[in-house]
Amino acid sequence: MPHKVLVIDDDPYIVKYLIDILTDNGYATCSASNGSEGFEILKREQPDLVTLDLEMPEEWGPRFYRKMTKEPGFENTPVIVISGLPGIHLAIKNAVASLKKPFDPNALLEIIKNALADKETA
Amino acid sequence: MAYTILLVDDEEGIRKVLGISLRDLGFTVYTAASGEEGIQLFDKYQPEIVLTDIKMPGLSGLDLLERFKFQSPDTEVIMLTGHGDMELAIQSIKRNATDFITKPVNDDALEIALKRAHERIEMRRQINQYTCDLEGLVDEQAAKLVEQERELAALQIAEGFADGLRTIVNTIDGGSSVFNQLPCFVSVHNSDSEIVSANPLFTERIGPSTGKPSWWAYKKNEDDRPASSPVERVLQTGDAQSSEECITDKAGNRLPVQVNAVPILDNNGAIELVLELAADMTEVQSMQEELRITRHRYQQLFEESPCYISVQNKELKIIANNRRFREDFGSSLGKSCHKLYAHRDSPCTSCPVLKTFKDGRTHQYETVVTTKTGDQRNVLIWTAPICDVEGNIAEVMEMSTDITQLRALQDRLSNLGLLLGSTAHGIKGLLTALDGGIYRLGSGISMQKPERIEDSYKDLSHLIDRLRKMVLDILHYAKERSLNWEVIILPNLVREIESIIRPKAEAKGISFNCIVPEDGTLEADYGGLTSALVNILENAVDSCAAKPSEAEYCVEFVTCTDGNSVEFTITDNGTGMSQETREKLFTLFFSSKGSAGTGIGLFVANQTIQQHGGTISVSSEPGEGSIFAVRLHATLPAHLKKEIITD
Repeated sequence: MPHKVLVIDDDPYIVKYLIDILTDNGYATCSASNGSEGFEILKREQPDLVTLDLEMPEEWGPRFYRKMTKEPGFENTPVIVISGLPGIHLAIKNAVASLKKPFDPNALLEIIKNALADKETA
Repeated sequence: MAYTILLVDDEEGIRKVLGISLRDLGFTVYTAASGEEGIQLFDKYQPEIVLTDIKMPGLSGLDLLERFKFQSPDTEVIMLTGHGDMELAIQSIKRNATDFITKPVNDDALEIALKRAHERIEMRRQINQYTCDLEGLVDEQAAKLVEQERELAALQIAEGFADGLRTIVNTIDGGSSVFNQLPCFVSVHNSDSEIVSANPLFTERIGPSTGKPSWWAYKKNEDDRPASSPVERVLQTGDAQSSEECITDKAGNRLPVQVNAVPILDNNGAIELVLELAADMTEVQSMQEELRITRHRYQQLFEESPCYISVQNKELKIIANNRRFREDFGSSLGKSCHKLYAHRDSPCTSCPVLKTFKDGRTHQYETVVTTKTGDQRNVLIWTAPICDVEGNIAEVMEMSTDITQLRALQDRLSNLGLLLGSTAHGIKGLLTALDGGIYRLGSGISMQKPERIEDSYKDLSHLIDRLRKMVLDILHYAKERSLNWEVIILPNLVREIESIIRPKAEAKGISFNCIVPEDGTLEADYGGLTSALVNILENAVDSCAAKPSEAEYCVEFVTCTDGNSVEFTITDNGTGMSQETREKLFTLFFSSKGSAGTGIGLFVANQTIQQHGGTISVSSEPGEGSIFAVRLHATLPAHLKKEIITD
């Protein structure tokens, strides 16, 4: 059973990019274009990891993160922030990693692999 | 012994024999036979020696002796006496006769008598000679003494004068060169009002003057002696004199001079000499003129400097200002610069003038000021202390340089920077999307997924379009933002703006009253005008939201047009603004909202409206709310459209 990754980003081109990278590397995927939609998908799809953009219409990334960490069963779901905003590493304190756009896909895959491995052993 | 001798005797024989003897001895001899004839010849020939018989008929020898000695005391009279006339001979000696010879005349006796006469004459001559020589010698010695005295006096004066000048020069820093060149006629006079000595300039310009009377320099011509002269007045009064006089120089020109004459006293306190200094007024006047010109130049520099200069006292009142200052801020003496610059009653929070008063250093301050005609000027203010003689800061000079042009340029660059900053996020997203497109295209080809290839190709085309537009926008802005004008239907514009503002106002509990016009059109840049109006409306909403009380707040947006112009009026009953805020409102990076504001919105709004040839007027009082009136041409003026065509 492959690990499932939830991709949250308002830019459809970036969503397509992330989905294809993850799919090509053997992950199952799902996606959302803002925070509130992402929360719905999270509960429905039960992903193992989330990649999160910060600046989105309707609901911003930090708000999604707060909601997720209060949702029973998702408190420890690892989150990787992928954003173009400066200072993103401060936005979400407990993020596994914060990547600046444009990002290196191999670095992202490495971080996901390690994060999921840590989650297994935890 | 070539004397002239008069021989008087009534005996012819004696006259003959004696006459021959005397002539042999080398004398010039005149003979007379009687006393009367003797007198005639005496008067005629003035003989040095007279030989006369004592006893003669008529006038006797004694009578002649008396007469000749009276008439000419130096005449040597020798008496001839007969035997037994001893009594008469003695009488004649008493009456100052030279000698007497008894008849018959013995040659030796005659020679002795004549020799005695000669000696007496010679002795007298020598005495005369000595006397004369002595007088000459005395005169000579006296002249030498006077000259020495004069030189000594002149030396003393010169030393005293030099001392005096040194003292003066020492008290005037760096003035020595000026003093040495002072065009002064210096002369020294004695107590008889005579010039004893004079400086080279005096001699050169007026003439050699030693020994001349004191008034000499002031004569109108050679004959006309002035009634009085400064030196004479010093001698009369005993006090120093100062007066304006006229000197006649060598060429006959009249020179106006300022004369100072001072007495120099001897050890007993009597005036020994008088020192006179006459300064050529024409020179002094030309120096004064030079000084005046120099002052004028400073004044000009102050007046014409291309910045606002004012001098302020400790109460921050302006006590001097230059022309530029007066032109742009009016007659401002006695007023304060915060009143003139910022129309405020209290000094600016970081007033540089106050700082300079405090620490004596120069300070810098940048602000926006408003001229009397309401123009905004970005100024850079420099201050400098002005100290009094004791080194205390008495006043502070404030120089404000108009840097509006510079700021405008800087604004443009900053705007570009801001634009790039705000678009950076978008660019990063775009680059990530392009990365994605490339990855998907590449992976589609390698995995032979035609639908992924096709889809990524389509995405890439879109993304490249977006990138192109973005780059062009930046380039466009960097060049010159121009109007992208179109004919706008007024009701549509107002409804669109309403749809943006109403939710924001209502979310903050503020009622929004929008009057939508029934029809009307406007030629304008749709995007620019919309964002300008939205910006003003958002500010109105924010100012209502910022007011702390629970009263009813309302923002009103009214649009009306008469076909020629369109006026948008935005009224709120929010916090309102002070005059200073009002004046700085449209300048870049001015914000009254603290960290919540960027200071860009209204700047851009104002620029957009100005670009349309329109105006924004603001009226507001703190606590009373604000009214913004935006007035635009319904039809864009031709020159504004033209710019776009040439662009």
